[in-house]
Amino acid sequence: MSSLLMNDVREMLHEQVQYRDLLYQMVKRDLLLRYKQTLMGLGWAVFMPLLNTAVFSVIFTRVAPIDPGVPYPIFAFCGLWVWNFFASALKFAVGSLTANANLVTKVYFPREIFPLAAVAVCLVDFAVAGIVMAALMAFYRITPGVSLLCLPLILCVHVVFTTAVALLLAMWNLFYRDVKYLFEVVIVVWMFTTSVVYPVALVGGRLAVLMRLNPMTPIIEAYRSVLLFGEWPAAMPMIAVTAFSFAVLFAAWLMFHRAEFQFAENV
Amino acid sequence: MADAVVTFDGVWKKFRRGERHDSLRDLIPSAVRRLLGRTVDDELHNQEFWALRDVSFEVARGEAVGIIGPNGAGKSTALKLLTRIMKPTRGRCSVRGRVGALIEVASGFHPDLTGRENVFLQGAIMGMSQADVSTRFDDIVSFAGLEAFLDTPVKRYSSGMQARLGFAIAAHMDPDVLFVDEVLSVGDISFQSRCTDKMREHVRRGTTLIFVSHNLQAVAALCRRCIVLGAGTKLHDGDPEQGIATYLEAGQKFSSRYSAADQTFRVRSIAMGRRHGRAGPLHPHEPCSLTVVLECLRDSPPANVGLELERTRDLFYAYGATSEELGLELVACRAGETVTVEMAFVAHLARGHYRVNINVRDPREGRFLCYAENAATFAVEERTTYDGVVDLELQMRIAKTPDAATAEPVTLPIATA
Repeated sequence: MSSLLMNDVREMLHEQVQYRDLLYQMVKRDLLLRYKQTLMGLGWAVFMPLLNTAVFSVIFTRVAPIDPGVPYPIFAFCGLWVWNFFASALKFAVGSLTANANLVTKVYFPREIFPLAAVAVCLVDFAVAGIVMAALMAFYRITPGVSLLCLPLILCVHVVFTTAVALLLAMWNLFYRDVKYLFEVVIVVWMFTTSVVYPVALVGGRLAVLMRLNPMTPIIEAYRSVLLFGEWPAAMPMIAVTAFSFAVLFAAWLMFHRAEFQFAENV
Repeated sequence: MADAVVTFDGVWKKFRRGERHDSLRDLIPSAVRRLLGRTVDDELHNQEFWALRDVSFEVARGEAVGIIGPNGAGKSTALKLLTRIMKPTRGRCSVRGRVGALIEVASGFHPDLTGRENVFLQGAIMGMSQADVSTRFDDIVSFAGLEAFLDTPVKRYSSGMQARLGFAIAAHMDPDVLFVDEVLSVGDISFQSRCTDKMREHVRRGTTLIFVSHNLQAVAALCRRCIVLGAGTKLHDGDPEQGIATYLEAGQKFSSRYSAADQTFRVRSIAMGRRHGRAGPLHPHEPCSLTVVLECLRDSPPANVGLELERTRDLFYAYGATSEELGLELVACRAGETVTVEMAFVAHLARGHYRVNINVRDPREGRFLCYAENAATFAVEERTTYDGVVDLELQMRIAKTPDAATAEPVTLPIATA
């Protein structure tokens, strides 16, 4: 049993090394297409979180004012920026296998490439929008402290968790197209059960417990601690979410790999 | 086989007819299995059928093997298993070395990207590294003949241009095993011949080739070994000529000409007569006879009897004549009568396998009253190495003279009428 598992893992890694150029080409394809088919290209990566920030700023500074400890717009932008990467990567990943059905049924290569490319493309957007984040920090004169050293780890956990969910959604959607519709509903609910536009501390009772169990909450809070408050991320939630994310990625990838050969017959 | 590059070992593959599930009760357990990525079970259930049944073969390094068979025989399934797009339900299928596939060569193209961008994308999809594509880029483009259109989006290419570019990319990989499926049907004649040349070149260089096609002529020309599949099982593995004969027999019942004929007559027997009762393949120019006994099942209008010869390798129409053309009277029959037709001919045929079709036709209505394809087969022995279907009894003499003025006209020792 364990040798079977080792075999699968070796195969999964070997395939990724062998087809590394393909992942690069797929990401390049999607970015090139965005430039060719849209006027604003990467501008959309900046525009969407900014627009959302404006909307929520109106709600939470005028309609129902809250005090998150830093100016609300940068608090919201940070949350939306981090959330946007997660949500848009999943949105692209969920249909990535079915949209490339002609390739899935005709040519062999590791199918992980499609959801992984979706995540990678959104990571490029995330980096571009990161420039806006830095600009906003400069504008509000927020200087991060030494805890900024944690940023790579937080980013890594963020990407790992996103990739894990992306693999599962892409695979499930291939078998049952209902997943895509369900996803569209769930992602909205999920956003409001995560501390994207308001801090968890303001939500009391059982709902707060639920929000803290949601892996995206510690990730967003860790970003905020490091970037906005100059604090170290809360240790326990961070350790838990790191372990959880890697475990889910491993399980999701293994499931994906083992189901892969059924894709061509079911797409 | 110690040196087997391709192994197909007791392979079974099942497919489902129709919908995936019949009821919610079936749906839930199967959905859970599916979402968790569990492997499928290997028993045949309701609505399922075997697309391949216990097929085994091995291919050694450098061999060129053709796979033929009627539609639905399992050829494409076999190819999908070999290229790892699917896994067998039972058995084992493995390929050693770098795999190249000339199957759907343009499938990775994106219409909005330019030819140049697509070459790199498609190359990566086929498993080439970027460095490989870069070094071969110029060769690929000139092979496809698309230098002038490199920066045009592929959506503005004709389908022939797309196929040419796709083939050019695939043909420039350096595979150990090459799978080819019907690509020769794309492009114009000159491109097709370049494709065939490229495949020959691969075979010469020691690439293992597996060629799936309906083009029997191309299979016979490229492959020394031929596997025939029929309804999911292996019918033949070996000599291409015999394989093609097997294939034609298996596919005979689908023939349109056969089904178009009404069954007014039936061939009861057909016998070939040879001098001194000889057996084995005919010699070229051997005189022989054919006796056909036809049974009349229904009253028939005046009709003539026809003979056709086809080369089995590629169904080349080698000869055809009717009793009417030979100056015989039409015959009208009543139900229950039998008609005996005696024919004599000299087999001025080149080496190969031939099949005999016998037909009865009503010339006024232009309707077949009987069409017996493959009523008999015979072979003409290989004594000479000439090609074609007729034996011209060609003679040749070549003379050399030092100076054109003294050259005498060549006279051959044969009569010219």
